Order: sequence, then C-alpha cells, then structure tokens
Amino acid sequence: MLPYSIKEGLAGFRRASFSSVAATSAMTAALVMVGLFAIVTWQARGISEWLKQRVGEVELFLEDTSDTVAVSLFERARSTPGVAQAEFISKERAQEIFRQEFGEEADIFFDGTFLPASIRVRVEPDYINADSLSVLVAEFASWNRVDEVVFNQALLTKVESNLRLISLIGISIGALVLLASVFLVANTIRLAIYARRLMIRTMKLVGATDGFIRKPFIVEGVIQGFLSSILALFLLWFIQRAAMAYVPQLEPLALPGVLVFSVVLTGSGCALGWMGSASAVGRFLKHISLH
Amino acid sequence: MPGKRRRVVLEDVSLRVERGELVYLVGPTGSGKSSLLKLLYMEMQPDSGVVRVADYRSDRIKPSETPFLRRSLGIVFQDFQLLPDRSVFDNVAFAQYVTGHRGKAVKSKVMHVLSRVGLSHKLRQYPHQLSGGEQQRVVIARAIINDPWIILADEPTGNLDPTVAEEIQRLLIGLHRSGMTVVMATHDYRLVRSFPARTLAVMNRRIVEVDPSSLSG
Repeated sequence: MLPYSIKEGLAGFRRASFSSVAATSAMTAALVMVGLFAIVTWQARGISEWLKQRVGEVELFLEDTSDTVAVSLFERARSTPGVAQAEFISKERAQEIFRQEFGEEADIFFDGTFLPASIRVRVEPDYINADSLSVLVAEFASWNRVDEVVFNQALLTKVESNLRLISLIGISIGALVLLASVFLVANTIRLAIYARRLMIRTMKLVGATDGFIRKPFIVEGVIQGFLSSILALFLLWFIQRAAMAYVPQLEPLALPGVLVFSVVLTGSGCALGWMGSASAVGRFLKHISLH
Repeated sequence: MPGKRRRVVLEDVSLRVERGELVYLVGPTGSGKSSLLKLLYMEMQPDSGVVRVADYRSDRIKPSETPFLRRSLGIVFQDFQLLPDRSVFDNVAFAQYVTGHRGKAVKSKVMHVLSRVGLSHKLRQYPHQLSGGEQQRVVIARAIINDPWIILADEPTGNLDPTVAEEIQRLLIGLHRSGMTVVMATHDYRLVRSFPARTLAVMNRRIVEVDPSSLSG
C-alpha cells in the first residue's frame, strides 16, 4: 500500500489539475530555457575551441641546416610541454605548398633560399592564450638554428578578448534566464499552493504537523518536476534537430553526453519541483491563519 | 494582543472553564469572542498573562507542539471549511489520516461519528450536494472524530436558518451531555435562551458572566 503522502501527492494532480498543469508548464519552460542555454554554451565552446586552435599555430622557420639537425629540432619541438602536434615542412614541401597556392605564376617569384624548412606546431588548447604562447615562442626562438618564430599574436589577442566578451554576455544572459526561470517556477508553485489553502488550513485545524502537511506537496512537486524534465528533453530534442537542419555545422552531442545531459536535466527538474513546493508550502504554513 | 492593526481586544481577563462544561461566549461583532477562541487554540498569543489548555501553556508551547494541542480540540467555524473535492466520508476521514491513523479502524470510526451526527446515509455525497445544516454536521463529525475533550465553536449556527440552527445546537448540546466540554461563541441569543448554560459576555475588553435569560435580541 502506498504511503498516505504519496497517495495524496498523486491525487493532487486530479484534484487541482489546472494548477498542476500550470506548475508543470512553468517548470518545463524553465528547464527548456536552461537546457537551451546549456546547449548553446556547449556549441559556442566548440566553436571557440576551433577558433583558438586555428590561431594557436606557431611556425618555426629554420636556418639553412642539415636534415639531421632539422629532424632533431622537430623531435625537440614535438616533446616540448604544451605542444599538441608538430609537423616538419621541408624546403621541398614548402616549395610544393607555394606552387599549390600561387599556381603557374609561382615560378616568377621562386627562389631557393626564399622558402626555408620549418616546423609547424599546434599548441594544446590549455596553452592557447597570449601569455603561454609568448613563453613558448620565446623558448623556440632561443633555440640554435631557429631563424624566426611566427605566430599571429594580434589575432589571438583579438579572438581572446572577443571570446571573453561573448562569455561574459553568455553568463549574464544565463544568469538572467536562470533567475527568470526560478521566479516563474516559484510564483507558479506559490499560486498552485495558494489554490489549495483550504486543504492546508483544514490539515492545520485538525492537528496535522507541518512536516506531514508538506510531504504530499513535495511529492507532487517532485513528480511535476520529473514530468517537466521529460517534456523539456523532448522539446530540446526537437529544437536541436530543427536547428541542425538549418545550421549543419552544429555538432550533435555524443550518446554519453546526451545521457549525462538527460540525467542532469531530470535531476534539476525534480530538485526544482522539490525546492519550489517545499519553500512555497513552508512560507504558506508560516503565515496561514486558521480562520 | 498582536494583530495587523494593533488594538487591545481583551484586558485583565481571567477565565476558567471546567472539564465537561458548556460555556457560551456572547457579545456584539468585533467584541473579541473569536479572539478569545483563537487564544484557546493558540493561533494567537497574549501580550501578557498565560492561556492554559490541558497541559499546554501559551508561554511554553513550542510551534511543533501546537498540532498536538489541536488534536485534543474540535474546532467548528461558521464557514464550514469542508474540502469541496472530497466526499463526506473523506472529509471526516481526513482528520484521522492527517493525525496518523490508518486502516479499517478509520472507516469504522468515520461511520460511528457520521451516525452520531445523523449523516451516515450521506457518506458518498459531496459538500455541494448537502444543505448548510448538513455541511455543519459534517464539520462537527470531523471535529469529534479524534475524540477531543473540548469543542471550540465559533458562530457555528451563524450561516443557518433558525430551525437548522436549533438542530445543530441540539447536536452540540448532545455532545456536551456525553461529557465533552463545549465553548461556543454566538450572537444568537435565542439559542442561548433555549439551551441555557454558563454565559460569558465579551464587551469593552472584559468578560462578564451574565444570566442567559436576561439576553435580548
């Protein structure tokens, strides 16, 4: 047999169907907003990583040196902390690239010493910031037989500052969305509880303890939160599908990610229902008069 | 006494109600009858002095103990406060469930109190299907199901026509005769005269004992 508070919590859906639908809808809207924000943040993070990786490339131009020295420099670069990937570009390869990029007219400019051998280094994501890169570049520049080290510091600084600004805007919007969601949910649940004031008053009148009065409302809140999160997951899935149809570059979330996201969203829904109803009933219990 | 607009409602009041007594509280609207009852079920606390109900004292009771005090009281209001989405049976059983009772005992207890108030034939009906007098009977059944030793009734006949009011009054008198203490606030002096008992008039912040036959109006 189900405990009384669970039975009453379930019966609450039937008895106060309108306020239950209102509370569930508000929580669904809140969870969709928060979920959307999380998805957009995740997508933006992917784009920012991609952008940073593009600007986080360092080119080490070598002096005219033997292959053995070039290879040892390449090995040294590859094993330097903070380097994710290194590629050795020999003089011949450099000429090939030059020809590919300039086409038939390349020969007009072609000069053997003009294109030195180089090592192209791709830096690990954590090192892609102006400070770490400067240290890395200074180290590369100090090596013998390295003629010049080039990286696009101006672009990196610009990308970094833009990403900082975008993150700040994102966090502010996220905080507003979260605040609006909590406000919406708190007020809807409060109204839903207010609609049941007669029941609360009667329970107090006949001597129910505050804890006993709270329980069915919390059960109802958790169930509403759970239903809301399921609805929100479906809605987010549809929104993501629609968005991907328009922007194919968007990266779909892998299965483990989807599972984690679903569990977190469902947990948040239940927690939202729990806290919303517990605080609304608590406030109500404190202020309600029997007559 | 504390209130939204702070004004003194009762002053220098000393009152003792013995177990098994029937006491009427009379007085004009706003004189403080309901406030006096609120002091008894400890919805209000006196600014000074002490209210003692059974083993509970207003100056020592903790908020967590108030529900247990209320279990020993049966409270009846003028506006019935029945749950509209529950049947007569469920409205009465509700008082048992919320105080932790379960199982078949609840059903037999509900049947017992419903027959005591003369409503066992209407147990499946909903409040909106009942007359005012019947609704008040359900309220009384709910008030007595946890075997309180005192009934606090605040204008229990205020919404009823004279004939029905008299029936409800007879019911309350019957409960009193079976050993329950009844404290009833009313401004229906006709009823007080018809069923005379100790009568206290609340007026000018004081409580004075009056002769029920002297009440007019």
